[in-house]
This record gives sequence, structure tokens and C-alpha cells, in this order.
Amino acid sequence: MKLIEFGLVEILSLVRKGEVRVVEIVEDYIARIEQEDQKIKAYLTYAFDKALARAREIDSKKEKGKLAGAIIAIKDNIVTKGIRTTCASRILENFIPPYNATVIDRLEAEDAIIIGKTNLDEFAMGSSTENSAFFPTRNPWDTERVPGGSSGGSAAAVAALEAVAALGSDTGGSVRQPAAFCGVVGLKPTYGRVSRYGLIAYASSLDQIGPLARSVEDCALVTSVIAGFDRKDSTSSPLPVPDYLAELKTSLPKIRVGALEESSLNGVSQEVASNYRAILRLLEELGIEIQRMTFPSWEYALPCYYVIAPSEASSNLARYDGVRYGFRAESRELSEMYLKTRTQGFGSEVKRRILLGTFALSSGYYEAYYARAAKARQVITREFAAAFDRVDFILTPTTPEPAFKLGEKQDPISMYLQDYFTVAANLAGIPGISIPSGFTADGLPLGVQLLGRAFSESELFRLAFLLEKNINLKNNKSEI
Amino acid sequence: MINMKIDLEHISRLANLELTEEEKKILPGQIEKIIGWVGQLASLKTDEEEKYTPIDFSLRLDEDEIEKSLSQEEVLAMAPEKDGDFLKVPKVLQGK
Repeated sequence: MKLIEFGLVEILSLVRKGEVRVVEIVEDYIARIEQEDQKIKAYLTYAFDKALARAREIDSKKEKGKLAGAIIAIKDNIVTKGIRTTCASRILENFIPPYNATVIDRLEAEDAIIIGKTNLDEFAMGSSTENSAFFPTRNPWDTERVPGGSSGGSAAAVAALEAVAALGSDTGGSVRQPAAFCGVVGLKPTYGRVSRYGLIAYASSLDQIGPLARSVEDCALVTSVIAGFDRKDSTSSPLPVPDYLAELKTSLPKIRVGALEESSLNGVSQEVASNYRAILRLLEELGIEIQRMTFPSWEYALPCYYVIAPSEASSNLARYDGVRYGFRAESRELSEMYLKTRTQGFGSEVKRRILLGTFALSSGYYEAYYARAAKARQVITREFAAAFDRVDFILTPTTPEPAFKLGEKQDPISMYLQDYFTVAANLAGIPGISIPSGFTADGLPLGVQLLGRAFSESELFRLAFLLEKNINLKNNKSEI
Repeated sequence: MINMKIDLEHISRLANLELTEEEKKILPGQIEKIIGWVGQLASLKTDEEEKYTPIDFSLRLDEDEIEKSLSQEEVLAMAPEKDGDFLKVPKVLQGK
């Protein structure tokens, strides 16, 4: 067995026992990336030299951190000291950050190694990674298809064995949807669970950093390292972080799971719907009580998101003016420099969202759009609270359909509908996890999503772990 | 869906953006369509509703500890153009 084939928990134990050196693992991943990434294009930047140097240091250490041997890919909207961080945008094409995001410091403090920075939709705006200013990433299961997005590079890297795990970010589904498309596990933690210091802001009331990995165990381990209070992020929660991996072994109390009514599956593909029904039957066979529920406000979740997120983006992205960092367009005077820098630096989807947000916040429209969306968000949040009075978790498909072809979705709204099942969790600030749940007849991965109460990650992992053990995935390695 | 004409020229000026010729052809139609689509929010009853506020963490005061922050050199190294210890920009006032 090659070293790249071991999952995170397994490879760490080999390192701990002294059976493998970290530098050998890094070398194996570099060989894999050099062989596969021309096809997949998961990465925007490789950090091989740094990774090898770091591996030698770790190998010579007596006391190693708990992630010694973890070779991790990082979505390129998370800043890494000395490693180019582009956000897949021309406006940050040559940006080399002078500091690390808190999640990077935490990973490195436990001796994890950053192997490279992964592709995304520019500024995390998209669901296919086609909006990258540089190139699209391909789905390892079928290279004619998209890996999902916006954390498409991270999901593809994990699925193609080009990293053992990865970090992504999730504002409306950007970790969970690509996880489902690529057949890996992806968590969007509770708002406030993971520090966003050093995450390049898109929509600050929604953004969360989350891990992608090959199994629930691996995902739980990474989460316990990156989660926790950070004084540099005023929205980070002071609640203690459980040892999620250890708690996987404790049994779940008697639980109830909420399931969608059949009528809520009208808009999804047949294969997604029948896979969803199969997972529900499996839960029942495992003795878990299922309650059918409806979520009338979800019809409004995407329209709500497409007011809130662009509004916040229009404000967050005002900082790209060509003065302090990033791209600057040649101009004779200052106001022309601002205008040209932004016009040439941003791609079309980013412009679309900045304009939408500027409109929603502009004089005369604020009440009708932004204020109304903020109230709709409250309705959605309350509906979840009422649901969690009756059940402990909610099970949904992660996506309405499996991975689609590159170039297939030309209309922005049809792309936005990808996030139908995922976006409500961001609006309400609750955690959600996507796990692989089967395959289509064509061999494309499918995923289901579990949602839980705020800060219920430990229980969420335990139920996901139980499901993962009982879902029979026949061919769970992509053939590439 | 509500059909609405949007003064995109005004909005782009507010956002400090210009559209390319290609974008001028497709973006206005798309944006009007999206604004029509989000307009369905009007049919959700929200009159009595409060606006959402993200989770309320109690205010916390930091200890007054001195910490190292980024050095001037590190910050200036990111700038597209600089002059000594200053960020340099094109001239601010229009005209000669």
C-alpha cells in the first residue's frame, strides 16, 4: 500500500510508531501531485520546498505534535505566511501574506504540513470552481465534470489522493457541496466554532472555515485542532472544544432525525431522491426514529442569501483599491486608479455580486431588500429552532443533483440553486456535515447532509460516523 | 417575478466598477433577473419580525498586553508602490 492511500488517523499512527518518516510521506504526495494534478488542477500554488524542509524538522523532533504526518491542502482564500494567496483572483495574483491565518498556526503547531494552496471560485463566489480567474478544477471521478465549489480544489485534492485532508470555507455550501460532488466528508462548523482570522472575507456573517477529509474520523480530528476561541476573531466562541475524535467512540443517546417530506424532493434528480430514501431506510434499520418535517421558509433561503451575501461582499471587497496590497492598474490619477484596478482585477461573478449588494444597500432600496432579507433570516432561524425542539438532527440530500459538466450552467440563478439544501445552515449559523452516501449509475458520488443544533459538532460527528460505517460504498476510490 | 429597471450606471459608480463591453451586454439583464428573483422575499410575512443578529457573545475585555504586530517593512512590502516609509499613489487632484 502506498503512503498516500492511508487516511489521516492511520498515517499519523504509523508516524507515531516510527514506521514511516514524515519526509517519505511528503515525497509520496509530491510524486502523486506531479503525476495527477496536470489533469485535475486542484492546486494554484505548490509549497513543496517548504513542505520538505518542514518534514525534515519534524522527523528530527523527539516530541511530535498530534498531526505529525498530516499533509494538508489549504483553500487559497486562507492566508499563509510566505506562500502566495490569490483567492483565485487577478486582484491578488501576486499577494504574499506576511502572516498566517489562525487555523494555519494551529495546524502547524501540531506539526501538520501545508503542501499547497487549492483552487476556488474567485473570492469563494460560485459552486463549480469555474469562476477561478486562472483555470477550472476537474472532478477526479469524471474530468469532464466540475468538482463543485467554491472549495472545489480542496475537495478534488482530497478525492484524488493529492492531500490527506484539506481546509475549505463555507458561506452558502462551499465545503459541503464540493465534498458531495467529490465523494469526501466535509464539515461546515457552527458560526463561531472556528476562528476566521486570516480568512479573506466574503460575507462575514456567514463565512466559516471547515475541513474536508476522506472519513468522519479524519474530519473530526482536524476540527478539534482548528476549532476554539481566538482573541483575533471577535465572533469566535469561548466554548471549550471537545476531543471530537475520542468522542466518536462514545455511543449516541436515543435520537430523533428529521426527514424531508416527499414533496420537498420534487426539484431534485431521481438518483439523488432514491439515494436519500435509501439512507432514511438505513437509519430506521439502525433503530433511529424518523420524523417527517417541512421547512416552508427554505423556499426563501436562497433569495435571502443572495441579498445578504452580496451586500456584505460589496462592503468587504471595497478594500481592494490598489493602494496597500494586490494588483494596481496603471493610471494618471487616484480615482481613475481605483476604478481601473477594480475593473481589471475582478472577474464577472465578483462584479455581479458587488453590484447586487451595492444595489441592495443603496438609498431607497435598503428596506425593500436588505432589511427584508435580515427579517427572512430570522424566520429561517426560528424555524430551525422549532424543528430542533422535536428532533436532534435533520437529514437532507447535500445537493439537488450529482456533479454537472463544465460549462453546463450558464445562467447564474441555475448555479445558485446548487445551494438549495446547504444555504439555510449558514443563515442560521448551525453546523452541517456532508458524507458520501452512494453513487449514481454512472459512478458519480452522492452525498447526504446532516444538520444539528449550534455547537453540536460532537453529536453530528457521531451520527455521521454511524452512518458511514453502515453505508456500503462499493467502489470508494476514484480511478484516476 | 417583479420586473425592475435598475440604474446600473449609478450602481457601478457607487461600487467603483466599470463594466467591460462584454459585461455591458450580459450583466444588466442578469442582474435585473436576479433582483426580480430575490424579490419573492416580499411574499414572506415579515412585518412583525425582528432583524436577524448573529449569535450574541457577551462582551469581553482583553488584557492590556503588548504584542508584536506586523513591522512597517512587512506591511510596506505588500504595497504596489512605495516611497521610503510611505505608500505611493498617483496624484489625487484631477487636472494639470
